[in-house]
Parts: sequence; structure tokens; C-alpha cells
Amino acid sequence: MSHREKTAWLSLIALAVTFGPYFAMVAINPPSGSLPNLRQLGLYATVAIVQLLILGAGHLYLRRASPEEARMPADERDRAISQRATTWAYYVLIAGMIVVGCIMPFTTGGWTLVNTALAMITASQVVHYGIAVLNYRRQA
Amino acid sequence: MQGSISNNIRVLRFHHGEMSQAQLGQRIGLTRQTVAAIEAGKYSPSLEAAFRIAQVFGVPLTEVFQWQAAASD
Repeated sequence: MSHREKTAWLSLIALAVTFGPYFAMVAINPPSGSLPNLRQLGLYATVAIVQLLILGAGHLYLRRASPEEARMPADERDRAISQRATTWAYYVLIAGMIVVGCIMPFTTGGWTLVNTALAMITASQVVHYGIAVLNYRRQA
Repeated sequence: MQGSISNNIRVLRFHHGEMSQAQLGQRIGLTRQTVAAIEAGKYSPSLEAAFRIAQVFGVPLTEVFQWQAAASD
């Protein structure tokens, strides 16, 4: 497994273990619609910090495990995979932003809107890293 | 027009002292995984990378890569 595939897996896992539970909690127990909601903001900040810590520790570990591979610049296949992943993630993000910015404000607001926007951004990241991992697995 | 690209990289590596994929990758600026993907026919390299591979083995490009048109074309 190449270093870039490992980092894509790491990002995907970090998203799953942090934002997965966050959105599950938000779906089960929706926050009050009023803004600001410091408890909700605190929860989001905690999740974001935990994600950063996982990514930091993971990157450090991967860098130490194979320093030569980590130093290698992205080659043409890495760039092609990254472009493909970015394209798909962009479609998801644009679709999400149309829903959040153009449709949802007529029906809802507050934290529902904020959390939906965050969910769409997270979904686009999941698609980005998911497509990258899939392409690396297929060797494409 | 559809077709498939095949290559003789595995054979050429064998004839060059069992050169490893990592060694070949190092000489042409690609990762070992990319060389493996090219060798397996899963990834088609850029023209520049293809020429670099041919140069490493000291053979013309057509001796490394072959393109076969699909039967229906």
C-alpha cells in the first residue's frame, strides 16, 4: 500500500470516527434551533479537535514508518487519482450547497441549516477520500 | 475506438538483472505502486513516462508497449 493510499485511509477513518458519531448524535437529539447554542458549538469544536489529533498522530506514525515513501513527491498516477476524487467531491459539495443555500432556508434555519451544511462538507470529503481509496485499490 | 494496452515490462525487468519495480520507479520518477499498476495493465502511463521506461531498458517504445484494437472495431 502506497503512502498516499495510507493517508487517504487515515483521513477516511478520522472522518468516520469523529463526524460519524457527531451526526448520529445530532440526528437522534437535534439541538435547539436558536443560535448561538454554545453546547452544540462546543461539541462540534471537540469533534474537530479530535479529528485533527487523529490526523496529526496518524500522519506522524505513517511518516516514521516509511520516511522514504513519505518524502516521495506525488507522481502522475497520484495526481490523476487526486483529480478524479476532487471532481466527484466537487459535485457532492455543489449539490449540498444548492440544497443548503437555496432550498433549505425557505423551510428551516438555525442549527439544522448549520449541521446540514457541515454534513454536506463532510460528505464531500468522504467522497473525496473514498474515491481515492477505491482508485488505489483498483490500481487505476 | 476501443482497445487495450499491453506491455512487456515484467520480461524486460527480468532481462535487466531482475530489476525490481521500486528500482525502475526510482529511475523514472514513479512510485513502486505506479510501476506495478502499469505492469498489470491497470494504469496507462503518460507518453513521457512510457518513453522514460523504454529509455531505461534501451529499447524502442513499441517493444515495451503494444496497443491492440478491440475485435469489433
